[in-house]
Amino acid sequence: MAVTVRIPTPLRRLTQNQPEVEAEGDTIEALIENLEANYPGIKERICDESGNIRRFVNIYLNDEDIRFLDGNATAVKDGDEISVIPAIAGGSSDDERD
Amino acid sequence: MMRETEVLELQSETLDQIYAHAKVEFPDECCGIILSDETQEFVRECRNIQNERHAEDPDTYPRNARTAYLIDPNDLIRVHKESETKDRPIKAFYHSHPNHDAYFSEKDKADATAWDEPVYPGAAYVVVSVYDREVKTTKAFAWNEDDTDFVEVPIHAKRDA
Repeated sequence: MAVTVRIPTPLRRLTQNQPEVEAEGDTIEALIENLEANYPGIKERICDESGNIRRFVNIYLNDEDIRFLDGNATAVKDGDEISVIPAIAGGSSDDERD
Repeated sequence: MMRETEVLELQSETLDQIYAHAKVEFPDECCGIILSDETQEFVRECRNIQNERHAEDPDTYPRNARTAYLIDPNDLIRVHKESETKDRPIKAFYHSHPNHDAYFSEKDKADATAWDEPVYPGAAYVVVSVYDREVKTTKAFAWNEDDTDFVEVPIHAKRDA
């Protein structure tokens, strides 16, 4: 059971600069464990200490945000494409207001 | 040693589109992504979901859309797919600062960085200052490898030939 995982630029250092890697597992959680076995350090970047996906990391099963599926427990199947894309956010600062 | 000054070249139509977006969303922050190929730029307006996240979880998201933005993850994947399938690299992200100046705030910097690295080292961040629905100033910032920080880069508007 292999799926393709798209890796964001800042994490490609861990995947020998590969933008896409193969991973195995029945769920997102299992996939992340499998990625960690092959690319040590990747799990702590994607997940917090409790194993939850970090707030600023979006994970998509094909084009669906897994937050709106079953999160970590979302089932994956052969041929699926997973994308890891850091959120784009920001904002002004009251203390810099003139 | 002098460093060559980087410039962000943007088509004036692109700037007009993001100014219009900033005015429409005022007093909330607007946000979006600028894709480009060799000849054209493509402005992709995105939904700012900061108000929804703030309403759901104000402890985690203390700000609302007046002073923060979060690009809708559905828009983000859509634009990423367009970028990949149509070979239109991400040139810049943009957002507005309603009733604030055009600076790259500490929050902007922190959110443009993940795991102590710039998330999109090759993309610029355009910030539009809009006061009472009028655009005041626009500045752009990009990651500078030598400074290991985001620095301002001048914007050059160019008209189509």
